[in-house]
Amino acid sequence: MYRYDAVDRLIVEERVAQYRDQTQRYLAGLIDEDAFKPLRLQNGLYIQRYAPMLRIAIPYGVLSSDQLRVLASISRRYDRGYGHFTTRQNIQFNWVKVEEVPDILAELAQISMHAIQTSGSCVRNVTTDALAGVAVDEIVDPRPYCELMRQWSTLHPEFAHLPRKFKVAFNGAKEDRAATPVHDLAFDLYKDDAGEVRLIVKVGGGQGRTPRLASVIKRDLHWSELLTYSEAVLRAYNRIGRRDNIYKARIKILVEQLGAEAFAREVDEEWAHLRNGPNTLSETELTRVAAYFADPPLPDTQAPKRLPIDPRFRAWVARNVADHRNADYAAVTISLKREQIAPGDGNADEMDAVAALADRFSQSEIRVTHTQNLVLPYVARAQLFDLWRELEALNLARANIGMASDIICCPGGDFCSLANAKSIPLSAAIAAQLAPIEDDLGPLAIKVSGCINACAHHHVGHIGVLGVEKGGEDWYQILLGGRADGEGSLGVLIGKAVRGDEVPLVIERLAHHYLSTRRSDESFIEAVERQGAAAFKLALETAEHVAA
Amino acid sequence: MTLLLSINADGEGRISGATPERAVPPRPVPANDGHGDVRKKIVPIVRPPAGPSATAWEGGSYLTLAEWLDAPKPGSAILLQPADDVRQLADRLDGLALIAVDFPRIGDGRGYTHAFFLRERLGYKGPLRALGAVTADQVNALARVGFDSISLRADQLADPAEAALHTFTVPYQGGVFRGRDTANLKARIRLLELDLAEVARRHESPALASSLSAEDMVITDAIARLGLPIDIFTLDTGRLHAETLALIEVTAARYGIEITRYQPEADAVAKYVTTYGENGFYDGVAQRKECCAIRKVKPLANALAGRDAWLTGQRREQGVTRSALGERENDEERGIAKYNPLAVWSWADVLAYAAHFDVPMNALYARGYVSIGCEPCTKAVRPGEDPRAGRWWWENQESRECGLHTNVKTN
Repeated sequence: MYRYDAVDRLIVEERVAQYRDQTQRYLAGLIDEDAFKPLRLQNGLYIQRYAPMLRIAIPYGVLSSDQLRVLASISRRYDRGYGHFTTRQNIQFNWVKVEEVPDILAELAQISMHAIQTSGSCVRNVTTDALAGVAVDEIVDPRPYCELMRQWSTLHPEFAHLPRKFKVAFNGAKEDRAATPVHDLAFDLYKDDAGEVRLIVKVGGGQGRTPRLASVIKRDLHWSELLTYSEAVLRAYNRIGRRDNIYKARIKILVEQLGAEAFAREVDEEWAHLRNGPNTLSETELTRVAAYFADPPLPDTQAPKRLPIDPRFRAWVARNVADHRNADYAAVTISLKREQIAPGDGNADEMDAVAALADRFSQSEIRVTHTQNLVLPYVARAQLFDLWRELEALNLARANIGMASDIICCPGGDFCSLANAKSIPLSAAIAAQLAPIEDDLGPLAIKVSGCINACAHHHVGHIGVLGVEKGGEDWYQILLGGRADGEGSLGVLIGKAVRGDEVPLVIERLAHHYLSTRRSDESFIEAVERQGAAAFKLALETAEHVAA
Repeated sequence: MTLLLSINADGEGRISGATPERAVPPRPVPANDGHGDVRKKIVPIVRPPAGPSATAWEGGSYLTLAEWLDAPKPGSAILLQPADDVRQLADRLDGLALIAVDFPRIGDGRGYTHAFFLRERLGYKGPLRALGAVTADQVNALARVGFDSISLRADQLADPAEAALHTFTVPYQGGVFRGRDTANLKARIRLLELDLAEVARRHESPALASSLSAEDMVITDAIARLGLPIDIFTLDTGRLHAETLALIEVTAARYGIEITRYQPEADAVAKYVTTYGENGFYDGVAQRKECCAIRKVKPLANALAGRDAWLTGQRREQGVTRSALGERENDEERGIAKYNPLAVWSWADVLAYAAHFDVPMNALYARGYVSIGCEPCTKAVRPGEDPRAGRWWWENQESRECGLHTNVKTN
């Protein structure tokens, strides 16, 4: 994984010193709230519903065991002993103190981490496939490009006050595991006939109150122009993006109003001045960064011919273990979707334990997925059983990756000051309702957001749930048929909002309709796409009628 | 009247004007308590500003962009608004005395792109001013996109605004992608300076233990350049090379600082020579370590008596005994702090620093030495050989330390 050199290190240290001074001046009354807000946001600090929340970047989801141990220690000393992994490969601490944040940032700097630009109207943490570098369907390893983008976009003086937030994602595999269609700027990496890496550039995806899928504006960008082209996109957005209404300020609105082709022309006009310029990447620079992502030396090992017969172990292997480029190895997903625990949460002891397991089983490396789980990317197949037993003992071996109980969920009304409704308890109720038929259902992506901002990506859930408030009560809209992979697809509403306690039942009815109408080997989302959401809606109305 | 920060070609700031009397705003609520259950009501509409943030400059009234394009009277100044298309000024810049850019609110970043276009695309070399909702905390970014004067919001103070100019030494956007080595040298120098300043701030009587090696000369150079209150001493064992002794004088002449010499006790040395002979250390590890104890370890104890921290030039790369070296350690044996600010430096880094600041070097390096120690126990090594191979070469690798660097705990 990437290691900071003196340049990286000095930048984070100077950033800590800068923010420490700003915090001191704020606490002394020398910076007013309005002026302090963008400063604290671009250092990861939100004022949440009950307390300040600190969001720390885990660039493109890659974490070392040493870093995870320090995160555990920070959560113990400055917070309440746990952290929340987010859909954008960040970790959040929900109970920090404003005056202690500079100390936390200083500790992060010591382990090559930061909270720079994890919120605010700027370029956010760059995300990608959690299986980067190990996935069997990978065409180009996205991590070096992510790191170059991270560096170039960090503290860029021109783009720190954009109209709104700006999220960038990369995908280098056949299957998109980075939700690129719903990002402001996204890149699909591929190799041309000459073997040169090129990028398909997409802009204007996003969720929130106006969900949009990104449009392709360039299909054959040479990798060396990654930064110059991004600069042209950001400059066009900074210049002409709407600033009169924050609900219309994301780049998706600009792209929609101009049209993707006209926006592409704006970008190309600017890019003509930048290409082959000072920010064009050299082979030397790419090679320097790419060297950090060379495969770790994996010891020779033989995948066992037969697995132990313990059925729980076999279920775990079937669902939580992904193939690895090296056939004797596997990538193991550790589910953070447990019963009685908020999705994506891990406590300090668990973080320490996972760090220790990464040291023993996975080259001291951990990945954070956009579905809020953790991955051990370098596990010898011969050690899977040993690892599983350790995880079992830690309550970290739930075999549900990609299944109904692997729900993406935002902090919701329990923590977030923006939320209309709670999302964590509802996720638990949905998972409990579907538990008896979870096996039968197979892959099913359920995503629960507490408000229209869509932090849990409900628009691209096979089943999406959106919290709305009605007369002080938690009500929810239910969407069907979204997906974040491939070209992406946005879910459609299947009726009026329902009260919180009815949501699990409605979802169970949708599930039963699928079970009774599916063709052989047809997954839930495939059935929805074949039948159309209307068929499910009709089935739902019929079931309600029968129940009444 | 507000403060005007002018920035010269070297990036140095100068403040003019006076800070007005200002009401101290109410103290913000710092901790968790007090925020309560905050359910935010978001107001999505951003109201446009009532008018420009300024109407006049030193030379008269500002023109709008349109007014200037209509009637370009030489000697005018224009005030650009966020929605203006700056590129209309292509070939229309002649005669402008000043271009000012209005920032009606902090969150409107279009003015940064205006500056980029003016400087990079249109080649505008004249005065460029930011004004409006401009606070000290925007100064760094404003200067980096090309503003050379910044009219601060009325409530802003001079000191934070001036200091903000020097917040970042090597930002990622300043050519780092083309010249990473140069950028890294700059960053390494700055990190060393910050580390040493921190040691000086944190401790009463810190001192550098110098063997007159290149590493120790690098640290000496930084201490001297910054004028830091960190003492420098050397352990004058009585068996040092003439080249090393000569460098003590050169250092004094070059930097005007004295390197204090700590010498072994004459009785102990005499007793050792009587018992084992002058060069008895070649006969075994125990004899060698006893010599080190008399000539180095005891004088070090004397040098560190009463001190609360010491610094060394050790680097991880120097050998197996130093591969886990920490930058900040606790010297448990002596009960004081120990710093190795060059721990992660490579030999190439040391040479690059020395060349950059023309640091005087021990003449032994030119003769193939890579480690500086006592004359009988140090020798030149072949290129590519382990750096510690020139120390106590008749012993095992793991024992090749003199006893100065023991029993530490990394912080």
